Amino acid sequence: MEMTRFEEILDFAIGRELAAVDFYTELLAIASFAAQKSVLTDFRAMEEGHATMLTNMKSRHTVFLSDTPAVDLGLARRLAAEEKPAAGMDFQDILVAAIGKEDRAGSLYAELASSSSDAEIKSAFGSLAAEETRHKRYFEELYETEVARDN
Amino acid sequence: MDIKDYIAPFAVWKRAFEKPFTVKKPIDERPGAPGYRGFHMNDADKCVGCGTCEAICMNKAIDLVPVDGRDAKEGDSGLRPRMDYGRCCWCALCVDICPSGSLSMSNEYVWVDSDPEAFRYTPGVEAKPWDGSELGYRRAEGYRLLDGERVKMPELDHGEAVRSFLELVKGYSREQAMKEADRCVSCGVCIASCPAHMDIPAYIKAVRDGDMEGGLRILYETNPFPEACGRVCTHLCESACSIGTGGDPVAIRWLKRYIADQVELSDYAKALPRKEAPTGKKVAVIGAGPGGLSAAYYLALLGHDVTVYEKDGEAGGMLRYGIPDYRLPYPALDKDIGYIEGLGVQIERGKAVGADLSLASLRSSHDAVYLSTGLPTAYALEVPGDKHPRVLDGVAVLAAATRGEKLGLGKRVAVIGGGNVAMDAARTALRHGSEVDILYRRREEDMPADAEEIREAKAEGARLVEKAIPIEVKDSGGDGALFVWNEARMVLKEEGKRPVPEAIPGAVHEDRYDSIISAIGQGPDLSFVTETDGIPMKRFKPVIAADGRTDAGDVFAGGDLTNERKDAISAIADGHRAALGIDRMLSGKEL
Repeated sequence: MEMTRFEEILDFAIGRELAAVDFYTELLAIASFAAQKSVLTDFRAMEEGHATMLTNMKSRHTVFLSDTPAVDLGLARRLAAEEKPAAGMDFQDILVAAIGKEDRAGSLYAELASSSSDAEIKSAFGSLAAEETRHKRYFEELYETEVARDN
Repeated sequence: MDIKDYIAPFAVWKRAFEKPFTVKKPIDERPGAPGYRGFHMNDADKCVGCGTCEAICMNKAIDLVPVDGRDAKEGDSGLRPRMDYGRCCWCALCVDICPSGSLSMSNEYVWVDSDPEAFRYTPGVEAKPWDGSELGYRRAEGYRLLDGERVKMPELDHGEAVRSFLELVKGYSREQAMKEADRCVSCGVCIASCPAHMDIPAYIKAVRDGDMEGGLRILYETNPFPEACGRVCTHLCESACSIGTGGDPVAIRWLKRYIADQVELSDYAKALPRKEAPTGKKVAVIGAGPGGLSAAYYLALLGHDVTVYEKDGEAGGMLRYGIPDYRLPYPALDKDIGYIEGLGVQIERGKAVGADLSLASLRSSHDAVYLSTGLPTAYALEVPGDKHPRVLDGVAVLAAATRGEKLGLGKRVAVIGGGNVAMDAARTALRHGSEVDILYRRREEDMPADAEEIREAKAEGARLVEKAIPIEVKDSGGDGALFVWNEARMVLKEEGKRPVPEAIPGAVHEDRYDSIISAIGQGPDLSFVTETDGIPMKRFKPVIAADGRTDAGDVFAGGDLTNERKDAISAIADGHRAALGIDRMLSGKEL
């Protein structure tokens, strides 16, 4: 893979993670109570961690991510897609937003992988897509255990 | 004395040069009879370490001992019987009484060893040549020294029950309670499984002894809600009951109810401990549910001045607003609450922290605060159309029923969810004349509701639709709404995890209902806790130490808000634990 192309891919992915950091930062700005702020701060820290991980990969010129996607619990497809950040958002609202975000990121990487003819680029995007499925899976599990306990 | 008396002892010398009879005999091949009572065998996996064998052994030949690699867990003490063949008389009573049927005897009776200590061993744990022997003594099929059959609880029949809000369960008579109490072997395996660690064998013994006031005293040592828990407790104790390993578990919950029902509220003070002298310390409890009031009771008993702040018009929390009165009649709940108030606990009804007063102001006017606000917020279905006016929240429906409001559910009702709120909402709707479908995303065996609630909901006429994934709610063009759902199949996607419902392509249904009651889960309302309160949170829960204390120092939390079980008895246990923690903090006796 050409170095410039590789760096572009990583810059693109890092940009998406930083956009997610901004998303949680915006939510934090309108959060009104401690429980919201705590969850949003945790989720933002996770996204910052992802950005750091990708930045490290960029400096080492290699994507070291498993390309095995996590099991899809299928929640993202059926949860109401709209994210409505509001001061009174509860844990369910925040998790739905997080699941939707990870799902969209994963879909985007998967599309980029499938539309690429360069095998290495395809592989890099494929690995990033798989990584997003793991992030989504984390939030889906939280949703299943903490929110939809009775369903 | 005769001369023979002097000579006779020397006659034994003639035996001195013979081969000893007692050594020769065992090495002869002479097997025991097929049903002979020889050395013990124990199926250590089947055994629950209840110690009934130890209790019945008249020679004290059995000790329950810890064994390597076998830890205590629910329904299993982790101990196993060790036999002492210096004491055993081979009567086999231990085999006959064993509730799980794990003990048996081989027909082997020869065991030569020069070390006397070897004859104390733990069958099923220490390997022996006779392990797995087909021969030997077994308890005869169908023969039990213990009564495996529970005394049936008189109940309304389901046809009659569904036409009224009368209490379904009628309660034991004295004779029935005594007979049921007689089934308990006092093994105590149940105690560990009870979140409040109630002394179950002791209060069952009180039933046997006819000592109701003594029984009530034992109940209140760990649980100030015996009337409520005697009716609606999740009775984890019964799942752990050793008698249940070979028959019906003892009806522990009903026996608790029996005790509480027998003592009039006016006689409680006579039976129960008095308050300690006033300490001059003030404690605020937020939430008058079972957890908050449990904390209040034990704090008051320790001499603290306790005020409980309750947002609703009545105390009781989910016991009142989440459980219909056919399961827990309000007078029974009022009796429990009445005694707590009688002890001097002030309950400020209709006072919502956040709206009417702040947490900061409570902290400044009290020495400690206990947060026990539960999970009052119903989570949404979170499908398109879930804000349709005919989509109702299950907790709100139950609360409206408690307040005696007209529900207006209509003829056809769908209840979405498989927990206790869903079952209670379904049964309430049935009692209001509706036809009810319960739609659940997984299978019946996955439902988190109590098995008996599911059974009773079905018996009362609710139709259970399993593997139904909610997709959308649409307007029906009339009074009701269309519920769109997808049939699912259960797919095991990962080993070691539970199967996941996966939509079957094309298997989409659209049913019209007058009301759709959503009961998929509830969350906390922590909007009254601000960052400046300094209470760390994790995943919408206050972070607490083992005694319920938060990093804020003077603020403790517990109940459904923090624990995983989310049932009344766990909240009660949390409240008790926090009360002791608060008392230690206030009295300067911290661990």
